[in-house]
Amino acid sequence: MNAVSAEMPLPSSPDPTPRAPVAVWPWPIALGVLTVFGLLSALLGQHGVWLALSWAALSVPLIVTVICLVRAWCRRPSAKGGHS
Amino acid sequence: MTTRAIRRWFVVHKWTSLVCTLFLLIVCATGLPLLFSEQIWETFVGDDDPPYEVLPPGTPNASLDTIVNKARALYPGQIVTNVSPDDDEPAVLVSMAPSWQALKDDDKYPDRHSGHWIKFDARTAKVLKQSRPADAPEEPRTWTGIIMGICTRLHVSLFAYLPGRLFLGLMGGVFVASLVSGMVLYGRFMKRLPFGSVRRDRASRLTWLDLHNLLGAVTLVWATVVGFTGLVNELQTPLFGLWRVTDVRQILKPYADLHVPAQDHLSSVQAAFDTAAKAAPGNEVTGLSFPGASFGSPVHYVLWTRGATPLRARLFTPVLVDARTGELTGAYPMPWYLRFLEISRPLHFGDYGGMPLRILWALLDVVVIFVLVSGLVLWVAKRKIATDARLRALGYDLDDTDRVMPAGSALAHLEARR
Repeated sequence: MNAVSAEMPLPSSPDPTPRAPVAVWPWPIALGVLTVFGLLSALLGQHGVWLALSWAALSVPLIVTVICLVRAWCRRPSAKGGHS
Repeated sequence: MTTRAIRRWFVVHKWTSLVCTLFLLIVCATGLPLLFSEQIWETFVGDDDPPYEVLPPGTPNASLDTIVNKARALYPGQIVTNVSPDDDEPAVLVSMAPSWQALKDDDKYPDRHSGHWIKFDARTAKVLKQSRPADAPEEPRTWTGIIMGICTRLHVSLFAYLPGRLFLGLMGGVFVASLVSGMVLYGRFMKRLPFGSVRRDRASRLTWLDLHNLLGAVTLVWATVVGFTGLVNELQTPLFGLWRVTDVRQILKPYADLHVPAQDHLSSVQAAFDTAAKAAPGNEVTGLSFPGASFGSPVHYVLWTRGATPLRARLFTPVLVDARTGELTGAYPMPWYLRFLEISRPLHFGDYGGMPLRILWALLDVVVIFVLVSGLVLWVAKRKIATDARLRALGYDLDDTDRVMPAGSALAHLEARR
């Protein structure tokens, strides 16, 4: 937790190293929407299709996690480092 | 966002997380076996009940009046307290007691249970099983029972009853605050990193930080929902209490001073079930308590009905039927705060979408445990850095062996050198 303040030089002035900002929110929002959909579809739908959709939707965040972890642990070091 | 604002969010995240992490680890760990409690009981204990008689499909159920009369004949002079048809088996549970007063007096004697039950086959009205007689030696407790009991009490109240529940509810609120502040920090921190990157070629603390961010972002919504609904669940005692002293008192006021009539003069139980089913359309009747039950009316059958869909299955609507005349007094939908509580239950328990949903619940729970642990690791690592810096400021030469020492022992070492 604390690493944030230590690692990230809290920028009051523009960052000297011009690294292109990335879109932060699309992924978390997409996963959040899927989670909400998954939670509600089984609750409101209760029938086969809705249950299956719920299971699928709630699996996505877990699958994404596994993919990210596998990528981080299996790739060559050149592909990491925050930014290529 | 200004640097100061970020620092503030950071402080909020640090302290809210520190306050609730230990309790959340307990709750997450004990929640796992609870999620599969049905399966665990079935596997390790099973039930030794005799199998149900095989009857042609469509065999109608016996009248509940027949069943109640049989129960009375078995224990003449006793009173019937509850009649509850089983949810998924063709059985009816009839609870009895020597008297209402005896039940009330049980509170004064911790080891006395004057209530007992009889299980009937709903179709043939034959006795299937009875509760253990009060004077019989206690059955030995199974390991499954002990472990599941400990998990339940830790999860719900930390063995501290109502104060424990309220405390855990408060921790749920703190947890939600920590999630919100964590989300703000995530937004600030991830500006230079593509989603899901875990840097492994730099300091190991960065790997932990990236893992914390990734796993936290992925489970954020689920953790918020389960945390918040957990908080709502812990408030059930005060919420029901509020309902009892407001609406319930109001409804029962005209009857409060009446005497409880003798049970052989009461109207038909089966008819009361039928009346209640009509009064709460779309609901199924799950049980009936006799007049005189605590928190009930002295002259009414209280029938509990609940919705037939997963969303409404935990939404109970009590129905009052006058036990002297058999007439409907009314159906009383619960106030909004109890409806909210009852909708929030399935969302906390994850028990509404079959086994796959439970498994997903368990996996997400494990991921949240990782988020908590990685947060702790980051905090401990930072504390160590801070301690090292302090030690250096004191002019103490740190070599590598000291660096792997826990902060406390490094300090002790320093004291010793002085």
